Amino acid sequence: MGRSKLISSTRRKPRKRVRVTKSRTRPFSVVPQLEPGAPSDLELMKAIQAEDPDALSQLYDRYNGILKALILRVIHNEAEADDLLQEIFMEIWNQAKNFSSQKGKPLGWMVTLARRRAIDGLRKKQAYARAEERLQNETEQQPDAWVHNSTEEEIVLSDTRSLIRKVISGLPPAQQQAIDLAFFRGMSQREIAAKTNTPLGTVKTRLELGLKKIYDGLKELRGEL
Amino acid sequence: MNFNEFQNQSRLYVIGALEAEELEEFEKARKKFGKKAEDYIGECYGLHEAFALSLRPAKSSAAIKDRLMAMVRARKEP
Repeated sequence: MGRSKLISSTRRKPRKRVRVTKSRTRPFSVVPQLEPGAPSDLELMKAIQAEDPDALSQLYDRYNGILKALILRVIHNEAEADDLLQEIFMEIWNQAKNFSSQKGKPLGWMVTLARRRAIDGLRKKQAYARAEERLQNETEQQPDAWVHNSTEEEIVLSDTRSLIRKVISGLPPAQQQAIDLAFFRGMSQREIAAKTNTPLGTVKTRLELGLKKIYDGLKELRGEL
Repeated sequence: MNFNEFQNQSRLYVIGALEAEELEEFEKARKKFGKKAEDYIGECYGLHEAFALSLRPAKSSAAIKDRLMAMVRARKEP
């Protein structure tokens, strides 16, 4: 897939509300590229650190869909996901000063924060059992949701997203399941072993192999982007 | 633990999948490998972005943003 096609299909309308400086190269980012002139995520984070509400508004517009999807994947409840989304963006505002570009990218930081809050929220609200039941029902209907979603015709994905999903959906289902339970459900290897009735060593191997393939796939993807 | 093993463990670490006993060994190796280890762990966090971006974006109510921005602006007021 050509670079020009990737860029043209993931362009966004430029926003000028935050002053733009020359963008840095992003070594491991898989985020869709922005139109020239649009503030980078890092520029928005710097503006948020300077307490500019407009920058938070722009960051929200850019990533609320992704973070909501992540939260929903963990807690499987629309209303709770909306509440958490609001809390997470409030935390992004409050904790922005703790973000350091030396340690990673803004989206990575936000996703890590959102995932942690979603998993904490799931446990604190004691919705675990209910979510388990919902997940079980969904799993019965869609034995492999990650793979299933990647082939749904009605979903229009950006090229970047499609490529990432291609990497993930290329894994054997057992590896996908192990990673899914670890990342989106916050389960330890022992918990995964118990839930899937699989030896602990097998779970470890599945996680290691699956994550390595995804990591290597992302490095190749970075080259394409 | 050699660096190749450390890399394997790092990918498990960033998704929180290391068991307690593995975490202890991992932290020792992390200290041993120093900056090289920190750089690699930083790269592994790219997995978080990827997992999130692999999901189909979900719609949220416009009221959420309105409430959020109202709270943020209220906190900014003296």
